[in-house]
Amino acid sequence: MDLMEYKAKELFTACGIDAGQGVVIRSPAELDALIADIPFPAVVKAQVPVGGRGKAGGIAFAANTEELRERCVSILGMTIRGHVVDRVLITGRVECAAEWYLSILLDRTAKRPVTIFSPEGGVDIEQTARTAPERVARLAIDPLLGVRDYHARYLLTSTGAHGDPAALLSVLRRLYDVFIRYDCTLCEINPLAVTAGGSLIALDGKITVDDNALFRQPEVTAYRDSLAEDPFVLAARSFNFLYIPCDAAGSVAVMSNGSGMIMSCIDSLSDRGLRVRAALDLGGGATADRIARGVSLLLDDERTRALFINIFGGITRCDEVARGVAGALAKRPGDGRPVIVRFEGTNKREGVAILGEIPGVRYVEGLSQGVDALCERRSAL
Amino acid sequence: MSILVDGGTRLIVQGITGREGTFHTEQMLTYGTRVVAGVTPGKGGMSVHGVPVYDTVREAAEATGANASVVFVPARFTAAGAYEAMEAGIPLIMTIAEHVPVHDMMGVYHTARRLGATVIGPNSFGVISPGRAKAGFMAHAIFSPGPVGILSRSATNCYETVYAMTRSGIGQSTCVGVGGDMIPGSTFVDLLPLLESDPETSAVVLIGEIGGGEEELAARYIVGMTKKVVALIAGKNAPTGRSMGHAGAIVSADGTGSAARKEELLRDAGALIAQSTEDIPGLLRGLGI
Repeated sequence: MDLMEYKAKELFTACGIDAGQGVVIRSPAELDALIADIPFPAVVKAQVPVGGRGKAGGIAFAANTEELRERCVSILGMTIRGHVVDRVLITGRVECAAEWYLSILLDRTAKRPVTIFSPEGGVDIEQTARTAPERVARLAIDPLLGVRDYHARYLLTSTGAHGDPAALLSVLRRLYDVFIRYDCTLCEINPLAVTAGGSLIALDGKITVDDNALFRQPEVTAYRDSLAEDPFVLAARSFNFLYIPCDAAGSVAVMSNGSGMIMSCIDSLSDRGLRVRAALDLGGGATADRIARGVSLLLDDERTRALFINIFGGITRCDEVARGVAGALAKRPGDGRPVIVRFEGTNKREGVAILGEIPGVRYVEGLSQGVDALCERRSAL
Repeated sequence: MSILVDGGTRLIVQGITGREGTFHTEQMLTYGTRVVAGVTPGKGGMSVHGVPVYDTVREAAEATGANASVVFVPARFTAAGAYEAMEAGIPLIMTIAEHVPVHDMMGVYHTARRLGATVIGPNSFGVISPGRAKAGFMAHAIFSPGPVGILSRSATNCYETVYAMTRSGIGQSTCVGVGGDMIPGSTFVDLLPLLESDPETSAVVLIGEIGGGEEELAARYIVGMTKKVVALIAGKNAPTGRSMGHAGAIVSADGTGSAARKEELLRDAGALIAQSTEDIPGLLRGLGI
């Protein structure tokens, strides 16, 4: 999951990186109690898990308390690229002599962490890599060796940067600590401010934590649970399903038992011009009870106009799947929305017989027949 | 022949006394796999479906001469299981669990190379050489022996493909669940050379998906292969920047890892591109399989 700036800075601070002082508020009313802690001139920054907030008006300066209140009122509640701003970070404005870029990310191809550095920070690193590639250094870190002093020297000299290798080494070591301690796939500081005195301060940050490691990251899990999220995502999480919102204007919901199958379904439907609203991955070992919960969850969304269930069992029993569908639909008499089901696996014949008795449910023999069946109902979607 | 597992495989099941481990041990034995030992700490001396259980992999390996292990333990213990097998000298380790932390796999990946072990998975159904042996949890009834090797990041897309192939009378030499994670123990380029040099494999089906660069690397290897490759890339219409359940399947905002780019490189390398799993038997027939 992607952490917002303020949360990233908390983790930086916990590992000894100077990320400045700041306060987070969710309503202007909270300002009164905190005003003594806020240094002026101040910066108010919208906290959203996407980039481009500066251009969208999500960052503003304030010279005094009155201006600060105005800025908070205007930024809180603003929508930035689909995200409603429900919290802002307020920090003191930092005067800097230079702005650098520093990150550590997991390089999937090299299968190891890679650090990227540039003395041209403050802008998108992809942009610097295009316009001034000689100003960007990239260095793989051997997980058995970790960060070494020569790494920092290389980053500086190979990009022609002027700075103290010891100061950069200290930040790089601590950023690597963050990367390892919090199971990150990305830790980025941009910009890394260089003050007139030569010290380094993380002015903005981004962290991505591996979702599969949340079980051992209580601090990140608590943060995730504090975020307002799609109610369907939350409901699915409570049942241990993966719910993937796809096309907000879509009308077909897809349920399947593996992510490869979900991608194949979305591809086949999209190729025929059908728009998928959401997909739900049941994971392995789907029982009637779990199937019923999944069906109910997807049909609870009134903008779902049709449901396509595609289960390739193996060890999953088709009669269980059919009973799950029957159970969920029995609780919604007169719902009327088409449910197309395709499955393969054990007890398929019994499963097909159960489905035959449920009004509104149609069984199809394969993925492409399922797509055909949905296309026939295109006008209602 | 076939690759990785066959009649000579002497398999350990780590986590044999767990629900999944016990169930799939029976399935593997039924299929004819030589499961020679199981491991569960604290359960040494037991037996599961006639298979002796040991407390550690080292004891199991020393007592039975095992040469492969399948790790049926939960995600958070998978790396520890793989390390134990590697240190006991097991040369082939299949990891099964979904949701293994990627930092754990980074360690396993580099250690395996250092110790000379082959790790398959995680997030994988394992490996099956139809008619000979299987190490994993795949539903074996749909597989049939034959000349086509399959490497797949997705279990369900592999099942679909195998099901369609078997119905068309096209069998498989070995099917490997490469797994859907960001760092798999073995990637396409690690496994393609094994299929290229396997005399019983005449063609290869590569089932990839969006995200990462493994299909791109595979394309470079395929250029020099004598055997034909049919490739499918799943996830063309996946929403950008959103993980599709496989940790590895995510397209970056800049288009890195996109299906279009992977298909283009594979096509240029001489692979035939399937648009869906249902196309694959026809494309194989066209190659004279």
